[in-house]
Amino acid sequence: MKRILIGSLLALTSAAAFAEAPGGPSCGWGNMLFKGQSGFGSHFVASITNGTSGNATFGMTSGTNGCSTKGTLTYGGKPMLVLGSIMDELSEDMAKGEGEALTTYAVALGVKPEDRAHFAQVTHQHFSDIFTSASATDAEVHAATLAVMKQDARLAQYASEA
Amino acid sequence: MRKRFASRPVLGLSLALCLSLPALAASPSPARLQQLANDPYWLAIGHYETGKLGGWRSYVDDDDFFLSPDGPHDPAAELSATLTALYRPVNLGDKHPQCVFPARTRWLRDQLQLNDLPQPACGEFTTWYRDIAPHSSVLIFPAAYLNSPSSMFGHTLLRIDQADIDQNGTALLSYALNFGAFIEGSDNSILYAWKGLMGGYPGLFALLPYREKLSEYSRLENRDLWEYRLNLTPEETGRMVEHVWELKQIQFDYYFFDENCSYRLLELLEIARPGLELTDDFPITAIPVDTVRAIKDAGLVERIDYRPSRERELLERAKPLSDNELQWVKTLAADTQPLQSAEFQALPAERRALVQDGAYRLLRYQANGQERDPAAAQRSYQLLRAINQNPPTTLDVERPKLPEDGHDSRTWQLGVGSRDDRAFAEYGLRMAYHDLNDNLAGFPLGAQIEILGLKLRQYENNHWQLQELDFATIRSLTPRSQLLQPLSWQVAGGFERVPGKDGDETLVAHLNGGAGASWQLTDSTLAFAMATGRVEHNSDFAPYLATAGGFNTGLLWHNALGTASVEGAGDYFLNGEVRRRLSLNQQWQLGQNLGLRLSALREFSHLTGPENEVMLQLKWYHY
Repeated sequence: MKRILIGSLLALTSAAAFAEAPGGPSCGWGNMLFKGQSGFGSHFVASITNGTSGNATFGMTSGTNGCSTKGTLTYGGKPMLVLGSIMDELSEDMAKGEGEALTTYAVALGVKPEDRAHFAQVTHQHFSDIFTSASATDAEVHAATLAVMKQDARLAQYASEA
Repeated sequence: MRKRFASRPVLGLSLALCLSLPALAASPSPARLQQLANDPYWLAIGHYETGKLGGWRSYVDDDDFFLSPDGPHDPAAELSATLTALYRPVNLGDKHPQCVFPARTRWLRDQLQLNDLPQPACGEFTTWYRDIAPHSSVLIFPAAYLNSPSSMFGHTLLRIDQADIDQNGTALLSYALNFGAFIEGSDNSILYAWKGLMGGYPGLFALLPYREKLSEYSRLENRDLWEYRLNLTPEETGRMVEHVWELKQIQFDYYFFDENCSYRLLELLEIARPGLELTDDFPITAIPVDTVRAIKDAGLVERIDYRPSRERELLERAKPLSDNELQWVKTLAADTQPLQSAEFQALPAERRALVQDGAYRLLRYQANGQERDPAAAQRSYQLLRAINQNPPTTLDVERPKLPEDGHDSRTWQLGVGSRDDRAFAEYGLRMAYHDLNDNLAGFPLGAQIEILGLKLRQYENNHWQLQELDFATIRSLTPRSQLLQPLSWQVAGGFERVPGKDGDETLVAHLNGGAGASWQLTDSTLAFAMATGRVEHNSDFAPYLATAGGFNTGLLWHNALGTASVEGAGDYFLNGEVRRRLSLNQQWQLGQNLGLRLSALREFSHLTGPENEVMLQLKWYHY
């Protein structure tokens, strides 16, 4: 309560009240189901003080932004980078068999439009093979996805490069 | 643009003083260069505005952005310096001005047919541009967020999409382009507020994955998100992104009301599509929703998408559930063991699916902003597995009324009334933006944000008085439910009239706040109750500052005419004064931007007898 009031009082005078942190409060949101980047502390500071410290980011998922990539490029580049930042959404979508994160994952894996519905269906069926526990890492999820795809006649073609 | 042409003669003069022509194969004539320096596009990519004392000044506050020492205030000097710089040797690599300023380069090359330019590789820029692969643009408007001063009025940012993003439905792969204040080090809050006020923080553009912004808004802050797909062509979007590269790590002045995120985005759109005039409409303030309206009025919007916040999704999921089922939602969020119990399994499969999904959403909502808790993660995972076995129907959240269709931000008020048999007229202006009786459409429910309100009163015999000067009044009334128990709170400060000795109205300075709870009684009624505290400077009182504790409670009713409210409040001062007030308001909505409000007020004070006031007010929401 005290914090909220202070925050609100600040708004009375804060000249930067329209500002948002340019770099994003941090990478990730710290409330993850799956272990990933955490950063609630800095988000809190950022939303109260309306900014953040550190270098402002300027694009390029593979380099300058605040998300740690932790060498995940070795697991197939873009899919891993994307996966690391949407683990929560993806797990929910895959459990339900539909959703934007699941589509995005399919696209990042190079699955062609005509096979995406099939991809959604297959990964939905194998949800617990892909997300094996609450402590699954993005690397494990990625590897497990490829393993599942290799077992499927239509999807095997997209899993070959790994 | 109008403003910019106003000071042409001054520009001509400075051009004559500062011009140093580059040694080109075929030098353009001074007249041609002067004409180019006056071109709206050149002025736009230099972010020039007419200075307060005539001449030019650039919004950019960063020497790295200018090639001429006079660049910040002299577009012509900057133009000729740029022209010279484009011919510097190619071995400068990525530091070559052509690589640093691709938008300027393209424009000058096109305008002056510079066919003899050196050809630096510009590897950094090319890689960056290829990674973004700009094709189309989307304006993003996260709705107001009362619990953060940075977001009280909403915010705007741009999303840059690649060619197939829209058709694939993979906006999560897009980039967000955001302008915001940049804070270095760890300033404390007080210093922050002060520096923000004085423009002490620079503003910077940042480009980051849209999915991060999405998580921030819809998950962490629980704000609804509006996406306005713009009809910019790939060429226009590309031109804008090219210029954004020129703004990498470049600092702007940042001011609260005008030179904010929304204003900067309007500038970018003017660069994307030369000839657009968007910024001229916002000389004083650029409230995000107003800029959305301007962009829509300019015919830039092709389609509007809505993304409900995670909180709204949770509440929507809970809506059809019975009390017993809601109890199950809470039980399962706290402990997943009963998933297999005979009691839970006795529910029909499709109801179980809804309950499981509700429990998962509740759990994720509770985990919001917390450090990762392995036990909660384990429960979430168990619920996901249950959902996987028995998926719920797709959640469909109905789209609320568009924010830009809400009433305008500034309000003029004209009232006539009577206080204790003395007639008066009241004239008011509120700079921003919404109170609880105003037309709700397009605004967050139970949110009141008023900034800078002035009321003057004219009593009989031409007696004028300052009735109220309100710096800010903010109220957040979020109803409690079986699943969520949010806090309701309010804070206000300024000058106002209170009952004084002998029936006078005394002008006092005050600051007050309160906290409590709200309850949704029916679809159209909301009740609230809060404990309050107040500090007041009152000439009737002995201490310089008098303090009071009290209460504030009321009922809001959205009816066919508009919104009605009944409110009771009391302040019990330490010095013995007790002040209570009971008020009734009914707003009658005459149109999107016109309303009539009838208010009745009865005030009690130890200093004087009870006073009655009745007023009829015309409210015009404008601009």
